[in-house]
Amino acid sequence: MGCVMGCLMNRLKNNLIVLFTKIKKYLGLYQAFFKASLVADLEYRLNFVVLVVGEFIWYSTQLILFEVLYRHTKIIGDWNLDQMRVFIFLVLFVDSIYMILWDPSLAAFTDNVRKGTLDLLLTKPINSLFMLSSQRISVSHVPCFFITFVGLIWALNQLPQFDWFKLVWLLFLIPAGLSVIFCGRFALNATSIIFTRADFLQYIWYSVFRLGLRPDAIYSGFLRVILIFVVPFAMVASIPARILLEPTQLWMIAWALVLPFILFYLLKKYWAFCLKHYSSASS
Amino acid sequence: MKTLFTVFYRRNLALAKLAIITNLQYRFNFIIDAFIQPILTVGVEVLLWLAIFKTADASGLIGGFGKDSYLAYAVWAPFLGRIAISWMYETMMVEEIASGSINTILTRPLSFFEYYLSQTLGYKIITTVFSVTVPIAVSLYFNLPVLYERLPMAFLIVVYYLLLVHTMSFLVSTLGFFLTRIRAFTLLKNLSLLLLGGELVPIDLMPPPLAELLLSLPFSAGVYIPLAYITGRGGWDLMSRGFINTSYGLLIAGILSYLLWKRGVREYTGTGA
Repeated sequence: MGCVMGCLMNRLKNNLIVLFTKIKKYLGLYQAFFKASLVADLEYRLNFVVLVVGEFIWYSTQLILFEVLYRHTKIIGDWNLDQMRVFIFLVLFVDSIYMILWDPSLAAFTDNVRKGTLDLLLTKPINSLFMLSSQRISVSHVPCFFITFVGLIWALNQLPQFDWFKLVWLLFLIPAGLSVIFCGRFALNATSIIFTRADFLQYIWYSVFRLGLRPDAIYSGFLRVILIFVVPFAMVASIPARILLEPTQLWMIAWALVLPFILFYLLKKYWAFCLKHYSSASS
Repeated sequence: MKTLFTVFYRRNLALAKLAIITNLQYRFNFIIDAFIQPILTVGVEVLLWLAIFKTADASGLIGGFGKDSYLAYAVWAPFLGRIAISWMYETMMVEEIASGSINTILTRPLSFFEYYLSQTLGYKIITTVFSVTVPIAVSLYFNLPVLYERLPMAFLIVVYYLLLVHTMSFLVSTLGFFLTRIRAFTLLKNLSLLLLGGELVPIDLMPPPLAELLLSLPFSAGVYIPLAYITGRGGWDLMSRGFINTSYGLLIAGILSYLLWKRGVREYTGTGA
């Protein structure tokens, strides 16, 4: 009995060592990617500053839209202005994390397919999902990350009797929201392998992503169910905002915990399917 | 004189056709660009306005206008906004100068401005012809308050405004003669146009001083003014204001572009790309 336990413990220990070595390797790679992106972005300083200003304008448009609408109405969906501000800052905060970590690489995906540079990335001795999604980091979104975080805390502070312990839920809910954006975007990009030239898939993504930029309360009935369970853009910010603003509903938290696993499983399967159709475009 | 005009016309017609053929070459791309994207955008915006009106006060009016008026705005705004913005061809113009491949255009008997203007117009015409069916069909089906007889004038101002947008794209691309990387300027310009044009929210809902400021800028002629005109929120006085504002915008952007282009070409060294 003692020998079996010992063997099991040894196996577990070895597995943990392998896992930590892998994590260390990927973190090291990520650090190298970040450094390279930072150097590349800061090389053209004026372009970088203009990019930061541009991002601020984009984020401001989302805020201005609702600030203007609430001048003419007291409630949209289920929320008043103070509650809507929490939603907006939350959606922008999640979006800024996604933009920093993955957007530049995923935006270049279809070009990689068309020009044949995908071959080079696929043959690297690391996970292809990681390589294709994390090679470039958007440093210009880092200021937006901090501003939206401060904005979120400010918006929560405006709420009467907000339970600050609820913020702990965000540790599970934000990764769940990010998994929706990441898997959705990656899967859409992977489709370009089948169609070869599918630049406009990017535009579809931006249109579909608008679903997540609006509170789920504006959608009713069947569409709302679809946005929670089938194309779960409600997980990006609507469900997290509901958990912060309304009495906690356990099914929402359970769904947030399960969803990333389902999405990554499906993404892996779909990615393998797309790769079967890949014919290199390089000479 | 007549021969010169004929040559000019044929040359530009050929460029417009080139843009049409290029964009129709990949049909899946075209269908997404002309139909799916506007339908999705319109769908989300319509749902937002329906939610707003669900909780509106008893009068059922916001800013003096009813639900149907805002639905008409939501249906047409993304459509006009897509016509009045330039991403693809501006990116190409910027790349031409940055990479040095502009040499091939400089040595031809046509101007860089005209080369891309004709292509932009060709692309906009073909996508507009197909995608205009979406807002028209939705407006007819839901019986939205759209003054169809005003559509030709609304399209005229959008085309005129497109000339201003193209001149601004040209202005941005000329910065490529002086700066190594200028892609961010395209993003900044287009996001500013989105904010200032009234695509997100009707300008008349904004605080009065801000609304007046936005109306005195030429950018409202891209979305808000034609939309206000076809939905009855504004009349000919607003439309004429749009034409005047676009004209002075065109004049300022034209002069700046001319000066930067002249100086840029003088300083430019072809890289032989």
